[in-house]
Amino acid sequence: MSAPSDTRSARIDGRRLRSERTKQLIIEAFLALVRDNPSTPMPTAARIAERAGYSVRSIFERFPDLKKLRAAAADYQLAQAAALAPPRNVDGDRQARIRSQVETRAGTCERGISLWRVLLYSADQDEELRPRIRLARERTMQRLEMMYRPELSALPERERQHLLIALEAITDIESWARMRELHGLSFEEACGVWIRAVDRLLPATPEMP
Amino acid sequence: MSAPPNAVPAARPDGRRLRSERTRVLIMEAYIDLLRELPEIPTAAKIAARAGISTRLVFERFTDLAALSLATVDHAFATAEAQAAPRGVDGDRMTRIRSHVETRAQICERWLPLWRVVMINQARLSQLRDRLMAMRQVVLARIRLMYAPELATMSEAERRDALIILEALIDFESWGRMREHHGLGFEEACAVWVSAIDRLLPVAPAASR
Repeated sequence: MSAPSDTRSARIDGRRLRSERTKQLIIEAFLALVRDNPSTPMPTAARIAERAGYSVRSIFERFPDLKKLRAAAADYQLAQAAALAPPRNVDGDRQARIRSQVETRAGTCERGISLWRVLLYSADQDEELRPRIRLARERTMQRLEMMYRPELSALPERERQHLLIALEAITDIESWARMRELHGLSFEEACGVWIRAVDRLLPATPEMP
Repeated sequence: MSAPPNAVPAARPDGRRLRSERTRVLIMEAYIDLLRELPEIPTAAKIAARAGISTRLVFERFTDLAALSLATVDHAFATAEAQAAPRGVDGDRMTRIRSHVETRAQICERWLPLWRVVMINQARLSQLRDRLMAMRQVVLARIRLMYAPELATMSEAERRDALIILEALIDFESWGRMREHHGLGFEEACAVWVSAIDRLLPVAPAASR
């Protein structure tokens, strides 16, 4: 026979889990609405609730306002981007590293474009979003630095910084979106454009000692 | 001596038309000024106050804020085009790169706030999307003009790739990131673009440079 305190604690844990699950579903409903309706960067609470299958009240029980929900969605997407895009082939040859970095970045862009636009265009009115945008950019730069270390290490500091900025610009999320939406390139074709451009931008790979 | 009977009535509508046009320009410039301070569509009252006219007068010249926004974009586009006449088109490679980059940088520096508003609102106002497409075509045409010798050495597919990448590199937001996020000065930001374009473009035959 189990003690009453064990039963109570199991009940509380179950409640907490359900609450977390609800929170998660609300965030996913927000993200789905942003993806489906890019002209509505802030869906109404009623629409989010309807999409998630909960009441409006349950949204505001978990988030004090919609801005906090948007910030939570940004955190969720950032965590997801990190989880789904671990660095691969860091020690590979030049072509393996370029291909790996481009494909990983392309996947992140493909999944994240809708929310990214919302964040970017709402940042002026919502200061909570700015550090999240900064973090996303810093991660992109760090990844570029990691993947192209051999080529970058051959350059003086200023040139290295300039090259990183140029690499970030050409592999920007809007650059990806233009290739897909405006130029009608497939995922593979668009990756090909980036791969060739990165290869041209990078200096020669130093010989291994 | 009396004026010919038709002189006064003919001059009056012209003067009225001129004043009306001046007021329109004043309103659009007030709109652009406000955007530079805060990148969101200003209210009619704010625009009127900045232009030193009544709100009623704003709506006498423009049917609504959407019409004013479109007219302002057209006005800015025409102004930008006039300010960005191509220079150094027949120069050597570095002259052409520098000239192109400096012209583009000045446009980005001046018009980034308006560009952001257009980007944010394009999903809501289909005419803005048309303007965006037109602006992109102008950017691409300038790239084609400035780098004609280098682009002529490429296959059609390579040329398409180069245009996509160069457009991404010199995008408004690429400039915005260098200035606002990386804290580069105007000259240094130009240097990033110059060296990246130089790396991305193939070497043209000596005779055509």
